[in-house]
Amino acid sequence: MATATSTAPDLAWTKRLSSPQELAPYRQALIAGTDPNALCIRVCCGTGCKAVGSLDVLEAMKKAVDAAGVDLKVMPEVKRTGCHGFCSRGPLLTLQPQGLFYQRVKPEDAAEIIQKTSIGGEVIPRFLYKPPDAKETIAKVRDIPFFAKQTKLVLKRVGQIDPFDIRDAIAQGAYAGLVKVLTEMTSQQVIEEIKISRLRGRGGAGFPTGVKWESCASQTGRHYVICNGDEGDPGAFMDASVMEGDPHAVLEGMAIAAYAMGSDRGFMYVRMEYPLAVQTLTAAIRQAEDLGLLGQNILGTDFSFRVSISTGAGAFVCGESSALMSSLEGKVGRPRAKYIRSTEKGFRDSPSNLNNVETYANVPEIILRGGQWYTSYGTERSAGTKVFSLTGNVHNVGLVEVPMGTSLREIVFGIGGGIPNRKQLKAVQTGGPSGGCIPIPSKFIDINVGFGKLAEIGSMMGSGGMIVMDENTCMVEISRYFINFLVEESCGQCTPCREGLTRMREILTRITQGKGREGDIELLEEIGKFTNSFSLCGLGTSAANPVISTIKYFREEYDAHVRDKKCPAGVCKPLYYYEIDPEKCTGCGVCRKRCPAAAIEGEKKKPHTIHQELCIKCMECYRNCKFDSIKIM
Amino acid sequence: MNIIMDGKEVAADPGQTIIEVARRNGVYIPTLCHVPALEPAAMCRVCTVELAEGRRTRLVTACNYPLRGDAEIHTDTPILRQGRKLLIELLAARCSDSKTLRELAERYGADLDRFPAENKDCIMCGLCARVCERVGGNVLALCGRGVEISVDTSFGRLSPTCIGCAACAQICPVQTIRIEDVEGERRVIVRGKEASRVPLRRCTSCGVHFGPVIDLSQVMKRAGEAGVLAFNTSVCPACSRRNLAKRLAERHLEQYQGDAHTKDEED
Repeated sequence: MATATSTAPDLAWTKRLSSPQELAPYRQALIAGTDPNALCIRVCCGTGCKAVGSLDVLEAMKKAVDAAGVDLKVMPEVKRTGCHGFCSRGPLLTLQPQGLFYQRVKPEDAAEIIQKTSIGGEVIPRFLYKPPDAKETIAKVRDIPFFAKQTKLVLKRVGQIDPFDIRDAIAQGAYAGLVKVLTEMTSQQVIEEIKISRLRGRGGAGFPTGVKWESCASQTGRHYVICNGDEGDPGAFMDASVMEGDPHAVLEGMAIAAYAMGSDRGFMYVRMEYPLAVQTLTAAIRQAEDLGLLGQNILGTDFSFRVSISTGAGAFVCGESSALMSSLEGKVGRPRAKYIRSTEKGFRDSPSNLNNVETYANVPEIILRGGQWYTSYGTERSAGTKVFSLTGNVHNVGLVEVPMGTSLREIVFGIGGGIPNRKQLKAVQTGGPSGGCIPIPSKFIDINVGFGKLAEIGSMMGSGGMIVMDENTCMVEISRYFINFLVEESCGQCTPCREGLTRMREILTRITQGKGREGDIELLEEIGKFTNSFSLCGLGTSAANPVISTIKYFREEYDAHVRDKKCPAGVCKPLYYYEIDPEKCTGCGVCRKRCPAAAIEGEKKKPHTIHQELCIKCMECYRNCKFDSIKIM
Repeated sequence: MNIIMDGKEVAADPGQTIIEVARRNGVYIPTLCHVPALEPAAMCRVCTVELAEGRRTRLVTACNYPLRGDAEIHTDTPILRQGRKLLIELLAARCSDSKTLRELAERYGADLDRFPAENKDCIMCGLCARVCERVGGNVLALCGRGVEISVDTSFGRLSPTCIGCAACAQICPVQTIRIEDVEGERRVIVRGKEASRVPLRRCTSCGVHFGPVIDLSQVMKRAGEAGVLAFNTSVCPACSRRNLAKRLAERHLEQYQGDAHTKDEED
């Protein structure tokens, strides 16, 4: 929390805006005060880049600017921003106004960048991005396919602004949507606009947001507006990036929702593992309150809306709506068994509207540009864009925002840059641990990613995690991994989820250990179908999806494990061994030198052999053989 | 409100849960975690039934699904029988020796030995924890998460707040909670582990221990003076009955003796 106060500028001197009309002139003044052609170095300080040392780069850049001092005609501004999205290339920065993209920057490079690029106007080739298998480097952000092929609506300000400075966000249009609803729209009109936009919940289930707001607004009693920032899917970090990079988009969306439903109280439920998001949100709420954009009598009107942050305690299941509300109330975070919607009786038994971070972040732009505009993106049933976190065996790991209905091929190959190491794409896992594996190569590579389509083929949209898997991925092991995750994260209340998942983990573990029995696959299917239909909450009723979808599409792999005691992908250690193909081996000796167990023997320029009893199956030889002579048997 | 249960129209009031309607009309739905006195928790899932809404059929738990409009319910379809069978088999692995489960197993053709026994001696219905909360003790609760979930006291320590009411033992469907009254103390034993010790009251008349010592200030808070009176006894029920009988007898005898006296006088 100390960092939040130290990096966030104090706005106490700023006059509180006393009417909605005052925001536009304030914004104009902010824009007038900055030169669009000024030098600006945006250092990505999202969680990914922070982990590889971007905060040190930021400090070094600031020092280098100070050191360069008089040599600079214009002092460049070094700005701390949220996630740029291209996480596998961090630490990274962009240089404005040229729009240069520098990747893998180290603190010791700071002086050179300032001297050469900022002062000399020279591009330093070694920091430039080179696409896989390309000869030329690309200098500018807008020319890099990873960025060029995206459509940024939710992430438009993420990476552009300093999340700790509300003025930056306002200069780029934040809170204009809130002003619009306060001056021009009634609650009913706001809900109508959201319904026209066909915005659907981005948390996974895809419930129409406008319909949810309407049903909540129609209830009597005190209304609560709650934001679900408990993003827990392994490998997913969309919401984190929005909260860390542009907290005002979420807060503005919540304020608009509160206005639409007549609420005066909001909660941000953020998972404890996102300390940076808590810092940015804390600073954002304080600054917005200082300026009169949140809190009592917003912009001098009768509308008041107070938001506070509540952190989870590390339970995945608290992303489920009723568990989240239990947790907010200070109770144990377990889902409640109730057939009453939370829009009717939710938090403290009052009508509560719960939406995902990304859903709220979509709202301000819909209000500003109209619901009709929003439907121009995406498909008939799934309007707008969706942020995906692209991870796994893909070149460009990072955050990707594309219109709904974009094909998997475009995401994985167009934006993701394809599969590293000349490997084949095997499957794409979507929807987090409760999602499913989509087999590829198959017709599914051209499937349009949207709510309906993914559900049709046995997977789901989920919150937007997308894990790309290459040919060396064992599908049995993958489903064991996800089931194991869910066993640990199940709340344990209801029998099917608690006992069913435990049994499935037991069976999958024994299959991956080579102790699978005849009938195990059928038993998995039986328990899987049962847990999916008899469980209490959303976690349980989708928990068996990884198992069901992998059995559906990769049954032969299960059969190989159970009957032949073989792991075709070479992952389950007891079920395979490496062998050197004497035809292909040139005797170069790389594998012999690399082998940590000294299990490979052979004379120079003659085929080598592996001593199976010594081999620890670390994959080192397999990965490093240039002649494809090591085979998984 | 038109409710059809297993093909027959049944009587129901709006807001009643499916299980209430079923019990009222003599339709059998199995349950393991439901008693009418407590708020339903829908944890065991054995009471799952099929609910037809338009063209769609949903699985819902009968114990907590409130009927608000027309509905068609099936309580005993092949899917349900299959699901209940598997539920019982899974629970039997936790708690192999239970009369309740054996009876259900017979009804649904479940194989109690299908999964290897874990001997946790508890089916995690949560009834003890719910009744304890209701009584006001808050001694037993569901602790831990997922597979590790279990019924326990706070931090696994002997509870200082137990009043020894024994409601948990009474309500447990698999008899895994025991009450032992020994040496002037009541011990609540949950799955072999002592959960609390409550001193017993000693009858001032016959010297027998007859129930836990009750914190009268708590009774005062909840039930007022009248409650305190009912709890503030120092003699055991047996002695109390005997004393009452003695008093009654004495009074009647006096009257009789008095009557006899006047008769004598008349004579």
